[in-house]
Amino acid sequence: MFGYLIQRLAQAVVVVFAMSIIVFVGVYAIGNPIDVLIDPGATQEIRAKLIAQYGLDQPLWRQYLTFLGNVARGDMGTSMVYNIPVVDLVFSRLPATLELVFVSVLIAVGIGIPAGLYAGYRPDSYAAKAIMALSVLGFSVPTFWIGMLLIMTFAVNLGILPSGGRGDVGSVLGIHTSLATLDGWSHVIMPAINLSLFKMGLMIRLTRAGMVEAMRTDYVKFARAQGLTDRQIVFSHVLRNISIPIVTVFGLELGSTLAFAVVTESVFTWPGVGKLIIDSILQLDRPVMVTYLVLVVILFVLINLTVDLVYARLDPRVRLKGGA
Amino acid sequence: MISNKLRSAVAALALLAALPAAAADLTIGLRAGPDSIDPHWSTLGSQAEALRHIYDTLVDVDDKLQLKPGLAVSWEPIDDTTWEFKLRKGVKFHDGTDFTAEDVKFSIERIPVVTGPMPMTLYTKYVDSVEVVDDYTLRVKTKGIAPALPNDFTRLFVVPSETGMEAGNEEFNSGEKAIGTGPYKFVSWEPKGDLVLEKFDDWWGGDVAWDRVIRKEIPDDAARVAALRSGEVDLINYVPASDYLAMKNDSDLETFVSDSIYILNVQPNVADELPQKVKVDGKEIDENPLQDVRVRKALDLAINRDVLVNVVLEGLGTPANQLMPEGFFGYSDKIGPKEYDVEKGKELLAEAGYPDGFEIDFTCTNNRVPGDAVVCEALAQMWSRLGLKVNAQALNGTVFFPAAARREYSMSMSAWGTLTGEAAYTYGALVHTEDPERGLGNFNRTSYSNPEFDKVFDEGTRTLDAEKRKALYEEASYIAMEDRALIPTVILQTVWAAKDGELSFAPRVDQETRAYEITPAE
Repeated sequence: MFGYLIQRLAQAVVVVFAMSIIVFVGVYAIGNPIDVLIDPGATQEIRAKLIAQYGLDQPLWRQYLTFLGNVARGDMGTSMVYNIPVVDLVFSRLPATLELVFVSVLIAVGIGIPAGLYAGYRPDSYAAKAIMALSVLGFSVPTFWIGMLLIMTFAVNLGILPSGGRGDVGSVLGIHTSLATLDGWSHVIMPAINLSLFKMGLMIRLTRAGMVEAMRTDYVKFARAQGLTDRQIVFSHVLRNISIPIVTVFGLELGSTLAFAVVTESVFTWPGVGKLIIDSILQLDRPVMVTYLVLVVILFVLINLTVDLVYARLDPRVRLKGGA
Repeated sequence: MISNKLRSAVAALALLAALPAAAADLTIGLRAGPDSIDPHWSTLGSQAEALRHIYDTLVDVDDKLQLKPGLAVSWEPIDDTTWEFKLRKGVKFHDGTDFTAEDVKFSIERIPVVTGPMPMTLYTKYVDSVEVVDDYTLRVKTKGIAPALPNDFTRLFVVPSETGMEAGNEEFNSGEKAIGTGPYKFVSWEPKGDLVLEKFDDWWGGDVAWDRVIRKEIPDDAARVAALRSGEVDLINYVPASDYLAMKNDSDLETFVSDSIYILNVQPNVADELPQKVKVDGKEIDENPLQDVRVRKALDLAINRDVLVNVVLEGLGTPANQLMPEGFFGYSDKIGPKEYDVEKGKELLAEAGYPDGFEIDFTCTNNRVPGDAVVCEALAQMWSRLGLKVNAQALNGTVFFPAAARREYSMSMSAWGTLTGEAAYTYGALVHTEDPERGLGNFNRTSYSNPEFDKVFDEGTRTLDAEKRKALYEEASYIAMEDRALIPTVILQTVWAAKDGELSFAPRVDQETRAYEITPAE
């Protein structure tokens, strides 16, 4: 177990290094960030001075080593656009994304799994067919379009929800979050539903597929013969057995939602990190890109680790080994 | 109990819905906002636009970008290298201290210390030293003759001298040092979020209409439109062309259209060797056809600007015949409207030795200004009528600008805005022969060099008399445009929208949305 964790950590470090090198080479290949940022009135002298000031006249390997040296001292750099330390910048926006993703995952799982269980349990009922049809819509209709429809309906026509932005931020147990206020909830609910639809569709289909298959297996027949109620069979046996694919997909989806909620964030002008990273890429704000992507790598590693640990809980046959 | 909770929840929601409509509040949805609250950090247009609510500039500009008094009431050159500014009396900072010449001197000297990658130093590049004569008189010694100094000072925001050189973005963003003389006081801001402002009762410019102004940054076009329709904001800028017609015909909404300072210019590279070779009959040739003015004229003649405006841009443009809109300092009346004549163009091409045309690459931006990508494709089609094969490619500005700086394009198109309202800024950067020492030709991506133009232009930069300088710049514009150094196509227009009958608002050519120039409708 311990060896396993060490190995995972080592892998993470390698991926983080690889990621930072890719960003450096990528930005270098596109061109000089100064040429994107620079004011049209700037003279050649000012341009040259700036390039030197940000060390962009150095060869790439030296720029990278300087970066590593700064990281070793705990300094991830300062945004070229905002002149704010990137760590502060990213962490000032992260809570907004976290709460949006949290609510959307809650909706996806809270509705998706029960709906999928039902659709698999009574596959021929009308309700099951309706659920399946909706699930197809969930992951085939583009997010931004549903987002616009939600806004047109609830904000423009009915006028009961705000069209975008994050609401008032309150404080619960020392955590500042907009989920602590009613206004915050009125802002978060539409983007969260929008963001959850794809995942919900996925959850429904996965759960249903597992359910249909499991209900035909011998152990379910034996359990029935034993006189267990359907409720006991589904919740204490079937659910546990079909959990592994669901947990895997859930983990992957959680990671990508956290990292790339950008479409929903743009449509609902949610002040999260997704918007920040897209703007940083467009402006070649390299310190922000590196820091954010490193953070994403760490997030993915953590999520995958958690998923593996959950596997071991769910299925005692899975062993976490250090060597393999 | 439960019903009580529910009732208060409903009441809270209702209150929320009512908030934006409260009497003297103005909420604006903007495509872009500031990067910092420090007025000396960046020259970004959206930064200046936002911060001029908090800070005043030494010299102001009217809605056609021509100079008008700001914190300085008058200015004149007293010798070749000295400008004297008379300052406004009785101006107060938000913290109650008086505004004096010391504050201006401090602000000028602070800029080189704190400015970032879009450096404000380009507005102080002519400043050699600053002398305070008395509290309301300031003399600026310049490096050489600097007739455009007052134009540069239209972006000189003044902060109190007590600010101290150590104060940086952090102190400004937190509001601690965000003290100016402007019509609004800083309340709060976060990057990419809302800028909240509160009326400053002692502003020298008089009373302003709104007690509280909230400038919301909503970069997504559709989201900005939705915010207006749902009543979340009172006014939005940069209405997308695709929504413009629908909004114009919607009786609930009111649209405001204005020419912008941005013109889409075709830039023919006239270097001896082209980075992307031209092909004749499928074979690369060594010479550069764009060096021949007849070829450039043919390209110009084949552009149907009326179609660009009315069809391609859906009416949101004006044909351009030079690099600046009418009324700007140095706009030449001698240049007539552009003619559209494909046959004449073909003749010119044949005269130049390309009766069957040639194949050329044409690269544009696709995300910098509305319509850049569609105009790019339309131009390629128009030129095909001349018998040319034009490979149009529209790229993200993030890729385009660094490559343009490396001179990788044979022919390109991007937008240029005459931010300062005068010719020296535009022609000096785009058309003048490259001269790093004098900072000229700094955005000349075409290797264009015309001694006749340079001579007239240079004389203009050395002429302090405004009328004479204007005449010289008009002549320089005429020479450059006759020679087709660049080929201007269309002046882009921008659109604002508000709920019908709520606001009185006069759009500005620089596209700034100034809350203190907006009043509730009568």
